[in-house]
Amino acid sequence: MLEIKCPYCGNRSQNEFAYGGDATVKRPELNSEISDQDWDHFVYYRKNPRGNHLELWHHISGCRQWFKVLRNTATHDIIQTMEMKENP
Amino acid sequence: MSQEFRISSGGLIDRSKEISFIFNGKKYTGYKGDTLASALLANGVHLIGRSFKYHRPRGIIAAGVEDANGKVQLYKDSITEPNVNVTEVELVEGLRIESQNCWPSVNFDVGGINNFLNRFFPAGFYYKTFMWPKSFWYNVYEPFIRKAAGMGKASLDPDPDRYEHQYEHCDVLVVGSGPSGISSALSAAKNGARVILAEDKARFGGSLLTDNVTIGNKKGDEWVEDSISELKSMPNVIVKKRSQVFGYYDHNMLVMFERCKDHLKNPEPYTPRQRLWYIRAKHVLISTGSIERPLIFANNDRPGIMLATSAREYLKVYGVLPGKNPIIFTNNDTAYETAIEFKANGIESIVLDTRKSSNAGVVQEAKALGIDIKFNHGIANTSGYKKVKSATVGELNESKNGYKNLTTIPCDSIFVSGNWTPTVHLASQSGNKLKYESETDTFLPNQSRQQETVIGSANGSFTLKESLTDGFSKGYQISDEITKNGIETSIPISDEKDFGSHDKFWCMPLPNKKHYKRFVDFQNDVAVSDIQLAVREGFRSIEHVKRYTTLGMATDQGKTSNLNGLQLVSDLEKKIVPEVGHTTFRPPYTSVTIGTIIGREVGKNYRATRKSPMHEWHEKHNAVFVDAGLWLRPRFYKRGNETLQEAAKREALNVRQNVGICDVTSLGKIDIKGTDSAEFLNRVYTNAFLKLPVGKARYGVMLREDGMVFDDGTTTRLAENHFHMTTTTAQAANVLSHLEYYLQVVWPELDVNVVSTTEQWAGAAIAGPKSRELLQRLFPEEDMSNEGFPFMGFKELEFKNTIARVFRISFSGELAYEMNVMSDYGEEMWNEIISQGKDLGIQPYGTEALSTLRIEMGHVAGSEIDGRTIAYDLSLEGMLSQKKDFIGKRSLSRKAFTEDNREKIVGVVPIDKKTSIPEGSYLVENAKAGFPNPKLGHVSASCWSVEYDNPFSLAIIKDGKNKKGEKLFAVSPLKNKIIPVEIVSQHYVDPEGKRVRS
Amino acid sequence: MSKITPLSNSHELGLHGNCKDKDEANLLVIREVTNIKIYQLSKFKKSNFDINNFSLDGYKLPNESGLSTGNENLRILWQAPNIWMIISYNENIIQEIGKQCSDSDFAITDLSHSRAILEVKGKDALNVIKKGSPLNLNNFRKNNCANSVYHGITVSIDMINDDPITLNIMALRSFAGSFHHAITDASLEFGFNAI
Repeated sequence: MLEIKCPYCGNRSQNEFAYGGDATVKRPELNSEISDQDWDHFVYYRKNPRGNHLELWHHISGCRQWFKVLRNTATHDIIQTMEMKENP
Repeated sequence: MSQEFRISSGGLIDRSKEISFIFNGKKYTGYKGDTLASALLANGVHLIGRSFKYHRPRGIIAAGVEDANGKVQLYKDSITEPNVNVTEVELVEGLRIESQNCWPSVNFDVGGINNFLNRFFPAGFYYKTFMWPKSFWYNVYEPFIRKAAGMGKASLDPDPDRYEHQYEHCDVLVVGSGPSGISSALSAAKNGARVILAEDKARFGGSLLTDNVTIGNKKGDEWVEDSISELKSMPNVIVKKRSQVFGYYDHNMLVMFERCKDHLKNPEPYTPRQRLWYIRAKHVLISTGSIERPLIFANNDRPGIMLATSAREYLKVYGVLPGKNPIIFTNNDTAYETAIEFKANGIESIVLDTRKSSNAGVVQEAKALGIDIKFNHGIANTSGYKKVKSATVGELNESKNGYKNLTTIPCDSIFVSGNWTPTVHLASQSGNKLKYESETDTFLPNQSRQQETVIGSANGSFTLKESLTDGFSKGYQISDEITKNGIETSIPISDEKDFGSHDKFWCMPLPNKKHYKRFVDFQNDVAVSDIQLAVREGFRSIEHVKRYTTLGMATDQGKTSNLNGLQLVSDLEKKIVPEVGHTTFRPPYTSVTIGTIIGREVGKNYRATRKSPMHEWHEKHNAVFVDAGLWLRPRFYKRGNETLQEAAKREALNVRQNVGICDVTSLGKIDIKGTDSAEFLNRVYTNAFLKLPVGKARYGVMLREDGMVFDDGTTTRLAENHFHMTTTTAQAANVLSHLEYYLQVVWPELDVNVVSTTEQWAGAAIAGPKSRELLQRLFPEEDMSNEGFPFMGFKELEFKNTIARVFRISFSGELAYEMNVMSDYGEEMWNEIISQGKDLGIQPYGTEALSTLRIEMGHVAGSEIDGRTIAYDLSLEGMLSQKKDFIGKRSLSRKAFTEDNREKIVGVVPIDKKTSIPEGSYLVENAKAGFPNPKLGHVSASCWSVEYDNPFSLAIIKDGKNKKGEKLFAVSPLKNKIIPVEIVSQHYVDPEGKRVRS
Repeated sequence: MSKITPLSNSHELGLHGNCKDKDEANLLVIREVTNIKIYQLSKFKKSNFDINNFSLDGYKLPNESGLSTGNENLRILWQAPNIWMIISYNENIIQEIGKQCSDSDFAITDLSHSRAILEVKGKDALNVIKKGSPLNLNNFRKNNCANSVYHGITVSIDMINDDPITLNIMALRSFAGSFHHAITDASLEFGFNAI
């Protein structure tokens, strides 16, 4: 059971959160021309790093805010958490 | 003859409180403060059970959780629990225990024959023997192994006890209350840290309860008592005994179980039996001590042979002599303490020491007391079937691979000591990679992975002085990193006996040409010969040797056997121990009952349920409920002896003919406000929402970014910047998260607020040709005509002093309305609708009728929106706006999604118009084709069409748009059905959709 | 119009659990909080409204995570950045809110019927929470609030008073039965009086 520091609420147990995937993926702009390959990369392709991974979490049973977590996938160590507008 | 092995005074038991218990049908007595093990030993009972594989008689070998043999079936009142360890159960009135793994009795066990057939039961015997013929497995081998393996029997009755969970957060968790544990807890607590001290036994103190030492000016046990009282008086400290910390998980989460009730004579009715603690600690101090290792020699498993320090614990804590004529057999100095303690109680013993000499203070003391010590001696063999009777001992030769001479010494017990194994399980579970310390032959913690520090003998600090220094200084250091109070507690002066180093010799040679078993793992019956065989057969990795021989794989997790096994493998492979490595320690450290893990969530509370405000009404009207996610929804309202199908048919037909009412509270409702609301909805839904007029509802479809349909529902514009969205019951929570994701992560510039209002409103769908009349009665002032309240219209109306939101929307395909009032008024609304609709023939309908109605209308629901279908597949392509972009749109131009022969939804009717098609059936062209029979599609939902009175199904089928009129087969191998079918339109009833607009 | 409160079918009055030989003053007291108004206020991103200008009965919107404010009749809970929950016995509180701000500054949503609320009072009140919620309550004081989970149910916890400890615990209305069971079952060990 991880302990995750919500940037708004502080340290909380993992039970309050939902995982939200890779935080480095950026959705293409609406109405933009985009190649099949770029779109496929946005929808399907994800890195699966052993080590640090910037990911989204949703404080679903707390303040219901989405935020970023820099987590080591091998050790589960959380290096940093931050609001959406921030970067590691 | 009662308790003839109990000494007349001394120990921590209460001799004024006699407690009786029954073991294998015979009544015994013990005292308050005993464990079952100490009470049995007080009565001279050593034989507890039979061993796992060879059914050899076995007795108690230790006094704590490390005991490998004392597993019994426990009965108390109406409950029974298997595989309980007699060393861990405290004696209370009303206990009955029985031996396991023996038949017909522990004294005469048929399986004991295995002992004489033991050369047919070598390592890997299960793998080798029960392989052929294959057909024998289910009928012969498996039942035989099951019976022979005969651990205890689980009760078939529900567990009558309560179990609870508790979450705690602390600065420092101290695991174990020996000298280092108590001293670190004291110094951390005095420095202001929030401390939890956990002890697995019923008494605090660990080794201080048995060792003759002083701390400050107090005896060890007095220091324990005073220190624990001091800790208990501090508000920042939680002190727990009978509490086993058994698991170390991520982010310093530790899990512990506490035995709350079983030791109490008259517990209160709602006291839980056990409590599971989830402890989040900033730092963990692991002071779990160490476990004595047995020595290995021929027939070293007879009842009466136990660990030397455990024997001393029985004497000092329980006032019990595990033997009156013991041999003490050791390769180190600690066992001399046992000899001295027994001598002080008038028991003479012989000490056999594998070493040539020892200058330790404790040995000198034993010599001075006149204790008979034979250096350079080993035990070559023992005798005695149900209890050890004698030992064959001899002087070891120069290379210690044989004996110079052998003599037989009678005895009633043998107390062995093969040095100490630090209890490093928790550190290892945390991720600490252990290091090997060759001087003491131990694995010790190395680099901490999480916030954990190992102290005391668990960290190889085997003297009291080291342990106290370790405890006080680490307790201060670690607490000060957290509290920064700088309050340091001084270390008291201590006095203890002097111990020297051990002999790196622990596996005795066999007498010449003999093949006796020398056991390493008692619980799983693994002997030296099994490990030799495994290595001979080519197993090299310790993990493989472990699995092949089952060494250390019993419920004791090899607490006494792992290190001896490792050393043996290292000797055989001529490698040093660290090269062999050690096996992985996994939680739980000791057995945990399933009840404790489950806690409160049992029976109908195994998970939370959600109910609508009309739930009690449904219950009163014979509703049979169905799970819809966490929601309980009425599936049908049973009348008389109706079946599900009969009821669903009646309810659905009544909707088609008259009017029905359905509880739709569980549909998700999301309130959307803000100046960008319309723009946001326009991006979220595939169809246009910008120009939805105020007071109008619109059906909308949402996609995921991969183009699959995600959810559908209607959204109503309540005001220019205010919308009311509905979702399916199943996806309500996911849709809210989805909207929040886009508003917070993707388009933070949009100024929109979303909040769930699902529970604010109670909802009733009113459907059927007579629904308009019913609505008119409910709202006599309102224009309910088709013009005054058209399809997809919305009105907020006054209803009995509150407001009602009324939507003209339909899921059944009939003329229908949905009415919402605030939840407190839900039941009142429902009653009012029913009473106004009585003479119109109103009936409530459940989800089964709801499904029937939507299926024959060809409306898609969760069984079609299954995450694998795009809008085209569901014939929702008309909902895809060509003029605007929306979530998932770009995916729809992928090649696979635009292929001409894509799957599409169709209707399916059995040719005989009689046979219902099981949901999940495959559609194939040729029912008789061999496997794999090419699948054209699958049946997603089936009903009995009330309109046509024959079965009707929906299916999603390849090239569905060109399949209408074709004759195929629906096959369901699971139900053994092959049904000839015809493909028809998905819109079986009212294909033009006239009724909803009428 | 007749009302059915969320817990009217669950909350059985009287003494429950380990009450024997205990002073009734030491038991937990549990009651359903009813007839209360709940509004969520969510400040719009584009609003320039200064929340310091907002005040109900003299209580401002707490602008820090985990803080609540108010008295026995009014509670204002921080929920998330720029989101608050106002809970009041004043039936006309919405008019009072309307005087303080406009709906162009805040999304104001009536949630009065959407929650089941239990008030748990007594020295063991926090221990009841510890039995089902992973929340760290070591520094949970009067006028602290938090959203968390309790036996799998999302809850809001608000400490109204600290002598005796008085907590309001809220869950979504549909969970009322399970929520009530979880809280009261956890209270049986301490003994409680349901009023």
